[in-house]
Amino acid sequence: MTTPVTIIMIEDDEGHARLIERNIRRSGVNNEIIPFSNGTDALAYLFAKDHSGSAHKGQALLILLDLNLPDMTGTEILRQLKESKHFKSTPVVVLTTTDDAQEIKRCYELGCSVYITKPVNYESFANAIRQLGLFFSVIQVPPAAI
Amino acid sequence: MIAASGDVDIHQLRRDLAVTPERRHRRALLQILLLTAAFLVLVAISAASVLLVNKARNDSAWVIHTIEVENQTNALLLELRRAESSARGYLLTAAPEFLNDYRDAAAAIPTEVDKLDSLTVDNPAQRENIDNLRSAIATRLALFEREINAVSHGDLAGATAMVREAATGSTAEAIQKLAEAMLAEENRLFVLRSTNADRTQQLSSTVTITGSGLVVAFAAISIVLLRRSAQARDAAEAALRDANLNLEATVDERTADLREANNEIQRFAYIVSHDLRSPLVNIMGFTSELDELRQDIFKRVAALGRAAAASPEPIATVDAEPALEGEDQRLAQDFSEALSFIKSSIGKMDRLISAILNLTREGRRQFEPVRIDMRQLIETIVSTLAHQAAKAEARIEIGNLPNLTSDRLALEQIFSNLIDNAIKYLKPDIPGIITVKGRTKLGFAVFEVADNGRGIDPKDHQRIFDLFRRAGTQDKPGQGIGLAHVRTLVRRLGGTMSVNSELNSGSSFTITLPLQWTAGNRNEEA
Repeated sequence: MTTPVTIIMIEDDEGHARLIERNIRRSGVNNEIIPFSNGTDALAYLFAKDHSGSAHKGQALLILLDLNLPDMTGTEILRQLKESKHFKSTPVVVLTTTDDAQEIKRCYELGCSVYITKPVNYESFANAIRQLGLFFSVIQVPPAAI
Repeated sequence: MIAASGDVDIHQLRRDLAVTPERRHRRALLQILLLTAAFLVLVAISAASVLLVNKARNDSAWVIHTIEVENQTNALLLELRRAESSARGYLLTAAPEFLNDYRDAAAAIPTEVDKLDSLTVDNPAQRENIDNLRSAIATRLALFEREINAVSHGDLAGATAMVREAATGSTAEAIQKLAEAMLAEENRLFVLRSTNADRTQQLSSTVTITGSGLVVAFAAISIVLLRRSAQARDAAEAALRDANLNLEATVDERTADLREANNEIQRFAYIVSHDLRSPLVNIMGFTSELDELRQDIFKRVAALGRAAAASPEPIATVDAEPALEGEDQRLAQDFSEALSFIKSSIGKMDRLISAILNLTREGRRQFEPVRIDMRQLIETIVSTLAHQAAKAEARIEIGNLPNLTSDRLALEQIFSNLIDNAIKYLKPDIPGIITVKGRTKLGFAVFEVADNGRGIDPKDHQRIFDLFRRAGTQDKPGQGIGLAHVRTLVRRLGGTMSVNSELNSGSSFTITLPLQWTAGNRNEEA
């Protein structure tokens, strides 16, 4: 627990991103949150120039992933992450509006850690995010491999 | 593209069908005219033939008559010669055989003359000749008589003188001439009459040949017309067959198009409702943020107000709702009111979007036909609704229920919606009785969910099945989705549903479902 966990938030809706950040903060999580509003930017940051992800070696990352992105699907990002040797053990929390059973099944099959449906009702939404924040504050995150 | 070609084919067919009767009518009229003409020609030929045959027979009879007259004339002359020769014989031999012979011939002659006379009654010229001939014969016979008398009295010389006198006399010559004249006259008549008969025969054959030719020509025209109309009919039939095939293909294509459009609408509704949720979360989230901001702002306003009033009173409880006064209080109330309207509207919109999402999700679900014990299914629903029923003081009665093969989840949703509605819209003052019963009819199961509740005005019977529409007093929560959903499900299960109700006298929903539903093409439609 020496390295602080960095939260990578991939969420195309800026309002949602802001609300998520605020509610996570409200639950007392003060870790760095790096927001991305599209898949391309997020992947470029994660895999860096050499496409290996070695730039983040030793960093403890937690990825918050929305499935409906303008440029690619969240499942595609999830697949790439789980196929990469650097990020295959990085926890990925899928946080999306979709509650389609097929989609949920597919995400878990691809190796996501948690799948959360964004409640439409804001109270439940805020509540869910705060609980997620509390969850973040207690879970152990391994550093990116190699 | 394809649709357009289908249209063209149908128009082509219409044109064909529109023109053909007119043409056919004209052709039929022509046929009748031809037949009539042919018939008339036949009648004319027959009549002409009969007339001409008669005339020919007549002509022939006349020809024969002429020959008879000639014969008779010759016979008369022969008898005369016989009388003359037998008279000469007697004169020479005085043998009584000759005398007998002579008597026979002399007796025959007047009858022969009479016969000839009767044969030539039609010809005045011949009559005159016969009259002359008769007198000449009479003279000649009288002469013979005198000769014979002379011989029988032994006056041979006198007889010989008489013969000599007779030979030089004109009587024999006159008879000869008259006979020749008569024969010549008959010859002339014979030539005339046989030419006549020939002409009649020729006319008859000409008429027959011409008539036959005409009839054959008419028949040929008739056959051509018939063949042409048969060809036209064949062409029309072929066009009809093609059009039918095209129509089927067009229907298939349209069905596929409709299915595709339906799927697209489903996808569209799903995506729209899905995408609408994201901004809604934002609106709701930031409204909540605003609400918190409001509390902060009015706290500060209150603090500032008090500071301005130079009140040294310390703010004891920071968290407690600060006391606002006058104008500030009114502002705070307006603010709260505005926020609460926004929140309630968002809540409503949120429920509607969720409902659409659920409907589209239902539409996308694949139905699976299984054998269903209806009684068990209804009992399960009733037990889950028992709490609500108890609260509404309603009793649910389950009658006979036929089992069927259908989709379990869909049936659960159909009946729980209907029973839930029945409980929801009971009359508050009388204890509710809800009955669920069923029967089978011609391969279909007919279910009925009836209540003694508030009922539905007949003018609203259509409306209650529309999405987001409700009827009657709006005193119960709901989005107006239940019945729309139920009807969609019933239709997908190959059934129909109807309502029978009056205001204040309960409602009865009838659902007809196939006993053996197979997930055939209905599933593809969804």
